[in-house]
Amino acid sequence: MIDPKEHTVVDCDWHYADTFTQIAPYMPEPWKTKYQKSGFGDTGVKQNLAAFFPASTGSRANYGKIQREFSEYPDGGDTKEDVVAGMDELDIDVSLQISHLILAMGGVTADDRRVESFVKGYLDYMLEEVLDPDEGIYGLAPMPYHDIDASMDVLDRVEDEEAITGVVFVTAGASPPLGNRKYDPIYERCEEMGYPVVYHTGGSGLDEYVRAGYQDMIETHTLGFLESNMSQIVSVASQGVPEKFPDLDIVFMESGVTYIPGLVSRLDEEYLKRSEEAPLLEKRPGEYITDFYFGTQPLEVSARPDLLELCFDMIGTDRLLYASDYPHWDFDSPSVITDLPMIDDEDRKDILGRNALEVFDL
Amino acid sequence: MSADGRVEVGPAAGFENGDAEVVQVGRVEVGVIKAGGEFYALRNECPHDGGPVCEGMVEPRLVGEWGGPGERVEQHYDDDQCIVSCPWHGWSFDVQTGEHIGDDGYVLPMYDVVVEDGVVYVNED
Repeated sequence: MIDPKEHTVVDCDWHYADTFTQIAPYMPEPWKTKYQKSGFGDTGVKQNLAAFFPASTGSRANYGKIQREFSEYPDGGDTKEDVVAGMDELDIDVSLQISHLILAMGGVTADDRRVESFVKGYLDYMLEEVLDPDEGIYGLAPMPYHDIDASMDVLDRVEDEEAITGVVFVTAGASPPLGNRKYDPIYERCEEMGYPVVYHTGGSGLDEYVRAGYQDMIETHTLGFLESNMSQIVSVASQGVPEKFPDLDIVFMESGVTYIPGLVSRLDEEYLKRSEEAPLLEKRPGEYITDFYFGTQPLEVSARPDLLELCFDMIGTDRLLYASDYPHWDFDSPSVITDLPMIDDEDRKDILGRNALEVFDL
Repeated sequence: MSADGRVEVGPAAGFENGDAEVVQVGRVEVGVIKAGGEFYALRNECPHDGGPVCEGMVEPRLVGEWGGPGERVEQHYDDDQCIVSCPWHGWSFDVQTGEHIGDDGYVLPMYDVVVEDGVVYVNED
């Protein structure tokens, strides 16, 4: 066992609990004025905000049970000081910040610029007020991927910013799925810039995930957060993104690890029966997928130890990245990695920090 | 089976490109397929589930070419590559190599074919 205090811990998924009120002053016009005159208020979970980023099933904070000492989650309104204090408490040396509010972007179906405006405002806000490489606080740039030109603008904005180490694609609501050629220019640019692409699941549309009528978040979060990543993994692999952009690092975040063997096995079975439908692939799709990186959170620590061991073996401990997801309701502290019985200390150090240092060129 | 270690398949003139004929060679069935004017012989037993692979469709392979970022993967049938697909589940093999087109770890055993005096034979080993 190792003590995280004594080793580099990189948290690849810390959610800055932002508010629209914090971001709005940095948004481009006319959304800055539209927002500020709307009376929307601070957060995306209050009723009137559903018109901006639609809300999703249930109470993330489990109706008051979940409380966070170092974040204003779930209402939002964090500060840099919250992040510094939380990282210190969790023994995290480096964190990659992802907007909390952007995770709902998939609920926007209008062909307008609100997502682009939010992303640009968020990045300016974070670069001005929160991100600080000297403190180990880095960020990922959300991609308004439904608009390629806007995504290129964002990449232009962050290209020379030391504090930005990659991009994030929110997988929920991405249609067409993210293996589509439409997104090639973003992948091409990220490959050129050396930016990893982090696909991060999300809650958009969770109430009516695939079908309407689920009762509670135990159902929709179990299924929806998983499906949003699985659907994009299948698309990205089958459509040959790793063949098109062989130097692009691909990371999938926030669905744990136990789904990977099942998905890989099923997709490979399909591929052997329908190989011509994935003409760019030079090997089984599963072999590309196990070359992707995966955030460990929420790690299924209650699973049978031999199942977890199989998953780690199949993915490879050189492909696993510790992620806390703090301050979200199901966050993992570094102990989920340090307490794992079936890996050795070198694997633990790789997963906790060394892999991420390399992938994100920190 | 014949005394000279080969099995007679039939007149070469009876084969069009894409035709296949299954014969017994020792203990196994072998499919003799004509493709691109050449004859190939492959074990008629799919490594997936034991299906009669050589009784399946023989056709050019559908391939794709990517024109660059943002471009479609354009697909076309490549007349230089011929595949046979097991009728049970669609596992497809290159008739020239016996290799599965998606995973060359799966290979149909192949046999030598000779055409002598207009007659097609398969060597037994």
